[in-house]
Amino acid sequence: MYHLRDVVKTREAEGVAFRLRVPSLQIAMGEKIALTGESGCGKSTLLDMLAFLLKPSDTGAFCFRPETDIEPVDVDAYWKAGKLNQLGDLRKRHLGYVIQTGGLLPYLTVRENMNLCRRVLGLKPDGTVEHLAAELGIADHLNKLPDALSTGERQRVAIGRALAHKPTIVIADEPTASLDPYAAQKIMSHFIGLVEELNITVILASHAWRYIKKLGLRQLNHRTVRSADTNLTETIVSG
Amino acid sequence: MGIPLVKAFRLATRDYLHEWQMSFCFVIALAAVLGPMMVLFGLKFGIVGAMVDQLIEDPRNREIRPVSSGRYDRGWLETVGARPDVSFLVPRTRSIAATIELSSEGSARTVRAELIPSAQGDPLLPPGELPEGVTRVVLSHSIAEKLQVGAGETLNGSLVRQFRGDKERVHLPLTVAAVAPAQAFSRDGAFVSVTLLETLEDFRDGRAVPSMGWGGDQGGSNRTYPSFRLYARSIHDVAGLRDAFTDLGVDVHTHAADIERVKQMNRNLTAIYWAIAVIGLFGFSLSLGANLWANVDRKRKELSILRLVGFRTMDIAWFPMVQALYTGVLGWALALGLYQAVARIINAMMASSRSVGCCRTITR
Repeated sequence: MYHLRDVVKTREAEGVAFRLRVPSLQIAMGEKIALTGESGCGKSTLLDMLAFLLKPSDTGAFCFRPETDIEPVDVDAYWKAGKLNQLGDLRKRHLGYVIQTGGLLPYLTVRENMNLCRRVLGLKPDGTVEHLAAELGIADHLNKLPDALSTGERQRVAIGRALAHKPTIVIADEPTASLDPYAAQKIMSHFIGLVEELNITVILASHAWRYIKKLGLRQLNHRTVRSADTNLTETIVSG
Repeated sequence: MGIPLVKAFRLATRDYLHEWQMSFCFVIALAAVLGPMMVLFGLKFGIVGAMVDQLIEDPRNREIRPVSSGRYDRGWLETVGARPDVSFLVPRTRSIAATIELSSEGSARTVRAELIPSAQGDPLLPPGELPEGVTRVVLSHSIAEKLQVGAGETLNGSLVRQFRGDKERVHLPLTVAAVAPAQAFSRDGAFVSVTLLETLEDFRDGRAVPSMGWGGDQGGSNRTYPSFRLYARSIHDVAGLRDAFTDLGVDVHTHAADIERVKQMNRNLTAIYWAIAVIGLFGFSLSLGANLWANVDRKRKELSILRLVGFRTMDIAWFPMVQALYTGVLGWALALGLYQAVARIINAMMASSRSVGCCRTITR
């Protein structure tokens, strides 16, 4: 599904540089991937690159193949040609994204928020949203605005939104970081259960490896090195 | 596959309504800049506009009168009358000859009337109310009241001359063609045709007027006129005509100075208004721009979510623009409402002292 070789993203701010290096990364369809590590180690940077939101500084190869019966897309070539709209279309059709703080639109109801990706794709209502809401335990809140929900409930809505249009892959950036451990664990199991049910590939960033492990996710190797003069922090991810 | 703009519009609208308090503040901020500007605009147009209107509407401001009497023949007058900046020109006969005593059946009084030469296109008379021939005259308002006559009624005109040592009086029947509006001529007078004036002058000068059956000497054929009634085409032509007459050696009295004063004031106020308008418009743009910027900054996260679900950059760019548009339109409408209210109050306050509204809507 993803094939990355020698992908580098360098960021520099106030004389301190950060570099994320991916010598090699392969993700197969239906895989459940976990990306762990303390905050600031480059998890979000990698996820943003995998979601075509962030342009890599340097690329050996970056291919994306959302379905087995279509040719792989050369993401690097899209970036280089400035085809941002095509990257947006890829994201719209094949990706679901759960961000750390939910990222719900405050002016839309829970139902409309969950329907957002479907609406954007022009999909007709088919009960998916209601089914997901029931699975996630938020069926009673469908007509409420996000403000009326607890943090945990909002996070469930965000998960529902990312899954409602049945993407081929879901990327989740610390979806339970703002929750207490008990609620986090519960939501995470729900999430992984739904992903398995829908046969969706998942890439999950989390700093709570202990219970992630129990859910049967493959962990990507990574190590962070600091250069001698401490001006450059480099994280190397492969898997 | 592009996302229809409609979706971005709809979301922007939902957001705008959801945050109605914030939207309301932006609208008020905008109206606070625009409203006072509109009031100034209204005042400028109201006050100066009324003064200019008064200048334009009152034909007396377009009148050009020779200061002293001269000798103008028909040819000279026709040349001047043919100028494109002259709208009306009739010769005057000697003023001492241009009077008549009028009496009517309805009143015991005999009133001495000044006779004003008139013709087609007289700016002091409403169209259609014209003196004609030697019988039809248009009376001034004051004399019509004194004689208690109206249009269609008859008058008796009489005049006297000293001829070969004898006092001679003739009478002539006149018909009131119309009564002129009060502002046309404030004294006792009658607008009459040049023919009638010439007839009366001939009689007073002792010449024979065969058409009226009045005897006398045979006069010369070259008639000259001591003066004329002249009106410029517009108030803007007055100064030019004055200069032209000065070049011809004719000293004239005009309202050019008054006109110039009002025009100067108009120019100055227009300049001041534009300065204020530019500053106001700058403030308006700045306010709208700041609003746009603040919104984009405040909603960075929400906008990035739209990007995340596949909205294209251009569609997202519409988001703050649609909201700025709403703020712009609503701010404008609110300012207009405030302006209308203030204009009404100002006009009510000024109504006692002025006949014309001080504040005028921009649409005028």
